[in-house]
Amino acid sequence: MVRLPIPDADTGRRSRAVDGLLKGRLFRGILEGLYPHSARLAAVMSCERHAAVVPRCPASVSSPAMYCMRVCLGSCLVSVLAVSVAAGSGARGAEPVDFTQEIRPLLSARCLNCHGPDDASREAGLRLDRRDDALRVLDSGSRAIVPGDPAASELIVRVASDDPDLRMPPSGSGKPLTPQEIAVLRRWIEQGAAYEGHWAWRPPQAATPPVPPAEFADWPENEIDRFVLKRMLEHGLQPSERADRYALVRRVFLDLTGLPPTVEEADAWVNCSDPDAWDRLVDDLLHRDAYGEHWARKWLDLARYADSAGYADDPPRTIWAWRDWVIRAINSNMPFDQFTIEQLAGDLLPDATEDQIIATAFHRNTMTNSEGGTVDEQWRNAAVVDRVNTTFSVWMGTTMACAQCHSHKYDPISQTEYFQVFAILNNTQDADRRDEAPVLELYSPEQKERRRALQQQIARLKSEASDSEHAAERLQKLEKELQDIQPETTVPVLRELTENRRVTRLQYRGDWQSTGPEVQAGVPSAFHDLPGDRPPDRLALARWLVDENNPLTARVAVNRFWEALFGRGLVATSEDFGSQGALPTHPDLLDWLAVEFMRSGWDRRELLRRIVTSATYRQSARVTPEHLAADPDNRWLARAPRVRLSAEMVRDQALAVSGLLSRRLYGPPVRPPQPSLGLRAAFGSSTDWETSTGEDRYRRAIYTLWRRSNPYPSMATFDAPTRESCTIRRNRTNTPLQALVTLNDPVFIETAQALARRAQQHAETPDEQIRFAFRCCLLRPPTDTELTVLQELFEDALQQLVEQPQEAEQLATDPLGPLPDHLDVSRTAAMTVVSNVLLNLDEMFLKR
Amino acid sequence: MMSWKQHLAEATRRHFLSTSMPGLGAAALASVWGTAGGSEIPAGQSVRPLAPRQPHFDARARRVIYLHLTGSPPNLDCYDYKPELVRRSGEDCPQSFLEGRTFAFTSGVPKLLGTPRRFRQCGESGTWLSDAVPHLHGIADELCLIHSMHTDQFNHAPAELLVYTGSARSGRPSLGAWVTWGLGTENQDLPGFVVLISSGVQPNGGANSYGSGFLPSVYQGVQCRSKGDPVLDVSDPAGMDRRLRRRSLDALKQLNEIQAGELGHPETQTRIAQYELAFRMQMAVPEVMDISKETRSTQEAYGAQPGEASFANNCLLARRLVEQGVRYVQLFDWGWDFHGTGPQESLTDGLTKKWARTDRPIAALIRDLKQRGLLEDTLVICGGEFGRTPFREGRTAASKNLGRDHYPDCFTVWMAGGGVRAGLNYGRTDELGFRITENPVHVHDLQATILHLLGFDHERLTYRFQGRDFRLTDIHGQVIHDVLA
Repeated sequence: MVRLPIPDADTGRRSRAVDGLLKGRLFRGILEGLYPHSARLAAVMSCERHAAVVPRCPASVSSPAMYCMRVCLGSCLVSVLAVSVAAGSGARGAEPVDFTQEIRPLLSARCLNCHGPDDASREAGLRLDRRDDALRVLDSGSRAIVPGDPAASELIVRVASDDPDLRMPPSGSGKPLTPQEIAVLRRWIEQGAAYEGHWAWRPPQAATPPVPPAEFADWPENEIDRFVLKRMLEHGLQPSERADRYALVRRVFLDLTGLPPTVEEADAWVNCSDPDAWDRLVDDLLHRDAYGEHWARKWLDLARYADSAGYADDPPRTIWAWRDWVIRAINSNMPFDQFTIEQLAGDLLPDATEDQIIATAFHRNTMTNSEGGTVDEQWRNAAVVDRVNTTFSVWMGTTMACAQCHSHKYDPISQTEYFQVFAILNNTQDADRRDEAPVLELYSPEQKERRRALQQQIARLKSEASDSEHAAERLQKLEKELQDIQPETTVPVLRELTENRRVTRLQYRGDWQSTGPEVQAGVPSAFHDLPGDRPPDRLALARWLVDENNPLTARVAVNRFWEALFGRGLVATSEDFGSQGALPTHPDLLDWLAVEFMRSGWDRRELLRRIVTSATYRQSARVTPEHLAADPDNRWLARAPRVRLSAEMVRDQALAVSGLLSRRLYGPPVRPPQPSLGLRAAFGSSTDWETSTGEDRYRRAIYTLWRRSNPYPSMATFDAPTRESCTIRRNRTNTPLQALVTLNDPVFIETAQALARRAQQHAETPDEQIRFAFRCCLLRPPTDTELTVLQELFEDALQQLVEQPQEAEQLATDPLGPLPDHLDVSRTAAMTVVSNVLLNLDEMFLKR
Repeated sequence: MMSWKQHLAEATRRHFLSTSMPGLGAAALASVWGTAGGSEIPAGQSVRPLAPRQPHFDARARRVIYLHLTGSPPNLDCYDYKPELVRRSGEDCPQSFLEGRTFAFTSGVPKLLGTPRRFRQCGESGTWLSDAVPHLHGIADELCLIHSMHTDQFNHAPAELLVYTGSARSGRPSLGAWVTWGLGTENQDLPGFVVLISSGVQPNGGANSYGSGFLPSVYQGVQCRSKGDPVLDVSDPAGMDRRLRRRSLDALKQLNEIQAGELGHPETQTRIAQYELAFRMQMAVPEVMDISKETRSTQEAYGAQPGEASFANNCLLARRLVEQGVRYVQLFDWGWDFHGTGPQESLTDGLTKKWARTDRPIAALIRDLKQRGLLEDTLVICGGEFGRTPFREGRTAASKNLGRDHYPDCFTVWMAGGGVRAGLNYGRTDELGFRITENPVHVHDLQATILHLLGFDHERLTYRFQGRDFRLTDIHGQVIHDVLA
């Protein structure tokens, strides 16, 4: 029996050889069904100081046998099976060892903690992550690896030793390697011990899309499908049929705009027989305002956007102009490289526009600590740390944060290099001040005009140097008018220090008060150089990120888009492309997409268009038990994913289908109804708020006021983060508290009431009304059985509510308000009960 | 002809048999831990994410009640008696204690401040307690006081986050989240991790102090209230009675089962189960939150009044909740920041009044748990986020209200029950209360010890996030074996 929660880890690492061997999908299905964690376990290694290493963790399972099984299934699932399978085939010995798939994960998991890039913790002077070092003659006179000669290689001698004093890893640092692990190491050395650079640090190369076998020649719609098909077939799976048209139209609307179609929009597409109807629909959606709102929301998670400053008192922060900038940038299809440069260094661009300066608020979303008695420098430093970590997470999927306190244990990033990047970001004027200075004042076009005119007049008057009383009065009046023009809003921005620039020093153990030698601005040497045509500043860093030689930025970006649509990235650990992260399930596809993305001029709309016009995307989500067992996580993409909608989409969809949703764009954050808690934030104001009135009550969730210490409760229940730091990937849970929100929360009751009224206004008979409401929610017509279930519910509810006029009144009107005269109270109440059920259907939460 | 109901029942049964064949049990057993793998939710994943689980080794405590006195009570006026400081009260603070130091609200040379409270030795253990906490005198022998606590932070929010999440920066899972993630909970009809807040103010760290950080949100603390909806959205909408809710959930279940049969996705089965659980929670939560069900004498012992949102009510609720199998109950009570900026923050009257609403329910809680046989495996912890200075706070030095500044170097936290040595005074500070002289206990050590009492090796209770395995104690923490019974 497994006793301990298994720490979560990547799910993607499994040897290609395993996959090759486990072609029999039922066999693999059974394995994965029984040991869904097996593949994850392999990677549960970490910096020893952070957490114990798993193989040292026999209490995580209750019996040695189980432990052994887990280790085998985990770090070399293959090998055990390989032996049994290979015994039959006999061909295994000659097969070339794949360094990336078989050796690096083994070294990384079992050896590098003591023999890796971190000088401080290296034992015996041996470093195994680089070939030159691994082949060197050690102080002891021996060599860890002698290519071609496993017997002379100390590595093999030590891992295979029976003597506990000699054996590696030493007792206390993990179990001995399994015979299978030793065998693969031996074979690798025999074959010459070739190293490969980490896959993600080599620039992506676009492979030619594979030619599909004749049997499936008609299936691919574009190149994506040819890559996907190949991997799918290799794993013994075949494409699913195309999803039905209603499922497809709902899916693509939700995926591209975050909102479902109206019944009319759905019918128009379903009934359209033009061969290019799908392409035109996609194109239409990619040009809607809702598209920018939807994709901006995802960016806000990365940028840790909030309308409050964080920490104890968590005071309001005015920064929504930046949120609007993101929506506009996405809707104008700003290329991703420009999008990057403007946010990180818009202020440093020549003749920077107001918009380019607003863009720099990206890094002003860090928290500010204004609790009494805090030392500003401590929290300014914390903000810069956050900026370094966020920049590398968002653009390069690199766990830079690991190198803040010590050199990275697995990836070649030293602590000094961490502070080189820190130095680039360490010289902006903001300094954890309560007033958030520096801020940019933003005026409306009319105000700008007036200000310009006033400034000119004032300048003219001053230049005339008249000392008449009249002139003085006039000057005073003009200056007052100028002063009285209040900006529409303000936004905190990045502004470089021009004097008193800070010197950056290495911080021992990441402690801002314990500093070492001065560090110059730079980037980790494992990557390409900063552009040589300018000083190593933020602009140089931004250009370096989107340089075509940057091996990661494009891959990381396309992977995130893929993850948004399929629920799982081609690299499952979208936050970690380092040597501890998951390997890509479709390396060729990932690279092809990355190269095409750059080639298209970093065109996000084009990237999305490619993906959603693929046959892969348009498959049915239906799954058989056999298929589910063979590929429970849908890695091989032989079906469409069923992924729960995000917190924001759950809310927006309910408002949309009930007809309540406001489509007003942009502007200050709004306060939809939330339960009153009667609490204040620590040292701060009430956590309750006065509900917005009018259509602001029904705006899209992206405009809901985001207070970090007290996130909007119903969205927090659906896994919205607090936005205190960068969230690359949200959890997706399924809990009873979520059920309570959508069953009972006043916002969702209000939508049920609105839907009930809408249905009665659109149709005569209860049957037609139910059919109408059903279609508003799910678009497809209900089946007879479904209709019957709902009709019976309606009749039953009506019977009860006719007898309970007071309850009926409440159910029909609280909180939406009085009924129009022509609607019957009991009937509306009964229809509200039906609508409440519709809004809670499983099909509403998952894309179909 | 089958009726549609028969048809449905048959379809559902067939579907269930077919989909549950390839190891629903195994998958469900294993895999709540897995959402960060980033796929569509795998088979059976979240059916029972809070199912009870065994820890690494035999536990001394099975549940936790943590009483947090937000703002940090003055240790030198409640628990840590310093007669020498009283003797030297009013003298300049020695330079050696000030050099190179920063304090939140004090600069220059402050004056030493001996406690204005009277101390006496209590119980067989002879534990020194002040007259600020009279009701604790009678339970002194149940307490294990650690006088040598220390922390890295001297501002409230970071210090509180350090206590609850192991990190001064927000974003990490809280202690209660780690515990429910590790142990699940005994009663599936109630949340596993309940938060009760009194005195009208959130904790310093906001929802982070009881958040789930990067753990799945199902492990975040659920705030329960003794006023209004006991849990957000737990009440049916106005006008819908239980019968109608049940009837509508039946219809929902039928429709969802059709969907499960049609698409074959296990997530749908999970959702059906969660709605049934929600329905049961709607009954169980109001029931457990109703303290009017307690006898008059019990209510009086706590000083509880049905309908209030008081610390006393919350103590009584804590007992009701753990009795019903809730794993972890966290109380936050605002108003312990005794700077002396007003009479309510003075070490004389202010402190007397604050404790008068606090120590009686605490004593009642300990006795009540003991009497019900729950104390032996319930761990009760009480403390703030840091200590308070042995000198008068700078801003209020001339005020008639005596107050102390924030102080990270020493403070007192006490524990009782589940596996701790009752009647122990552990660790010492110097005669003026500036420095620890014996057995220092860092916040991470306390966390390691709490997890140890619950049966966990704190180094092995880890969760992988963004490429690294995280744990509550970060990279630190030593179990304090001397405080274990």
